[in-house]
Amino acid sequence: MDVFLQVVVNGLMLGGLFAITSVGLTLIFGIVKVVNFAHGEFLMIGMYAAFLVTTQLGVHPYAAVVAVTPLLFVLGMMTQKFLIEPLMSARNHDIQIFATVGLSTALINLALLLFGADIASTPSYGLRNSIEIGSIRLLTGQVVMFIVAVVLVIGLHFFLQHTQAGRGIRAVAQNRAAAQLMGINVSRVYMITFGLGAACVGVAATLVAPLYPTSPGIGTYFVLTAFVVVVLGGLGSIGGAFLGAMIIGLIDSLSGFYIGSDMREVAVFGVFLLILILRPQGLFGGRQTLSHVS
Amino acid sequence: MRLDVMLRTTVAACAILGAPGAFADVTFGALYPFSGQLALLGEESARGLELAVDEMNAAGGVQGEQIVLERGDAVDNNQAIGEARRLISREEVKAIFGSYSSSRSIAASQVAELNGIPYFELGAVADEVTGRGLEYLFRVNPTAENMGETIINMVVDKVAPGAGVAAGDLKIAIIHEDSSYGTSVAGHQKRFAEEKGLNIVVEQSYPASTVDMSSIVLDLKQRGVDVVLQCSYQNDSVLFLQQAHEADFKPLAIIGGGGGYSMQPTAEAVGHDVIDGVLNTDFTQYIVNKEFTPGIDDFLAAYQEKYGTAPRSGHSLTNYVGAMAVLQALNEADGFEADTILETVRGIDIAEGSTAAGYGVKFGENNQNVRARMMGLQWQDGKLVTVYPDDAAAAEFRMNK
Repeated sequence: MDVFLQVVVNGLMLGGLFAITSVGLTLIFGIVKVVNFAHGEFLMIGMYAAFLVTTQLGVHPYAAVVAVTPLLFVLGMMTQKFLIEPLMSARNHDIQIFATVGLSTALINLALLLFGADIASTPSYGLRNSIEIGSIRLLTGQVVMFIVAVVLVIGLHFFLQHTQAGRGIRAVAQNRAAAQLMGINVSRVYMITFGLGAACVGVAATLVAPLYPTSPGIGTYFVLTAFVVVVLGGLGSIGGAFLGAMIIGLIDSLSGFYIGSDMREVAVFGVFLLILILRPQGLFGGRQTLSHVS
Repeated sequence: MRLDVMLRTTVAACAILGAPGAFADVTFGALYPFSGQLALLGEESARGLELAVDEMNAAGGVQGEQIVLERGDAVDNNQAIGEARRLISREEVKAIFGSYSSSRSIAASQVAELNGIPYFELGAVADEVTGRGLEYLFRVNPTAENMGETIINMVVDKVAPGAGVAAGDLKIAIIHEDSSYGTSVAGHQKRFAEEKGLNIVVEQSYPASTVDMSSIVLDLKQRGVDVVLQCSYQNDSVLFLQQAHEADFKPLAIIGGGGGYSMQPTAEAVGHDVIDGVLNTDFTQYIVNKEFTPGIDDFLAAYQEKYGTAPRSGHSLTNYVGAMAVLQALNEADGFEADTILETVRGIDIAEGSTAAGYGVKFGENNQNVRARMMGLQWQDGKLVTVYPDDAAAAEFRMNK
């Protein structure tokens, strides 16, 4: 029983990691309707930024959030402004996918050039220490990540539902043309949303950096799962992303322990395919489906 | 004296003008990943070849001809093929040396084979490199099979006596990343373990791109595993060591298979207190009994002088030893025709313990160097020291606390 509990707790903690790395993606995916393949590389840049801030200034990795989040916000806005927006009017929206794939490759190689292929490890300041509750072991950093994921999800939900800017974002998500007619600056809303999505990745990066070795290719480790989580949760659904992350985390952990680690991806992507077939709008998605994205 | 100066000036001028045929040079290809993800160790490997060439040239070259190395950047498999073609057809190399990455080597050596150009593999370990029965491909370095054998021997000769139990009573787990590197080493570990009557309780693969190994760690802990054999890249080495530590899983021994276990940044990432005592197998490294590796100090001095730093891994040494064995043999040959080169190389017979890597050179079945050996290493006080075999050891093997 203890082992089962530990496996479940591990799954939930993994879910926290998936949630925090997916929230930004669902925002961009669901509202700007861009499949951002550079999402993992945004995370990688955030992790390197956190590494540099922590090691150069000697501060706690969490303090790096003050620098990393605005940096990623600006990077996100610029990506939307200079890369995605010029392609917005293109008849074939696939071109945006190619653009973000290109951006991702460019960022990986830029990181290789600047930092080399070796890993960089951000000091953990005790975040790798484990807490024991009964027979269950948890990592301090994981617990913080889980809590921040919950706070971030609630915060974003509140922002989208109850602020003027949030209402604008939702209006644009619902009907871009109508929102424009109502006097909403759509291009600005897209920029802010993309920036916001990237800023969420920035928060994730500062929490992930002390727990995982940073390397130029690290983004690809997280991004596939993030896509699964976002589709499972329903595009643009913040709460859906959180629940999707928990489900994927649990499937990953349970299948890893009870079936075998080589079967984890089979289990996770099997569920992903099932969802695509049975409920393409995701568990918590509204009317939009994948076909509305591109 | 004046004539000498004039001659030299003329020769230099010819070189600058690129006059063809003005030199009695022999050109060899150096095919490695010099850019991209594998660039770091690709470059490190190539340095060993360069030092061997420098040494030969300083001593008068090969058969009186100065060696010119033409670099080919094998950044991926397709480019490896393209660069091998270019080296052979445009640069007219007499042989190709390379290539660090097994997949690049497999792709490029096929091109060499079809063109009848000798290919000397100095660093790739996968079975398939020599397993295809190519005629023109020779491999000097130790392989995945040597690695599996060394690891199992280390369990029998060191870990079991150190723990004071019979080797057959140890519960052994083999975990490995699921690409051809991890899979082939794990296969050899299993085979040698069965031959020695060891008890393997877990054999588990996982994708190298995993972000969580807690399920594996929990499984090993539940089963009371004594010895973990892990063949992994860097990310998964770090994850496993960290998560094992966090879960308070303390087996008698953890033995890595090169890759992430050999790298200093891995030690920095997991912490020296955690990695201390962890075992590993790899090419010959630098903290080793120097009587067993004659010439290693000269290599280190030459390296320091040329590159202004100490070597970053044993890759350069392994490539240097392999290249020297081949080049010295070619020096005794008569001409650089492919057939001559093959015949000469087949006759190489360098005794064990007489190279700077500690092993000998003698090509056997499939042109694999049957005397190539991996070394057993252990992380001790922040350094990766040689502990196995005994005559190569620079420090005593330590049991985990």
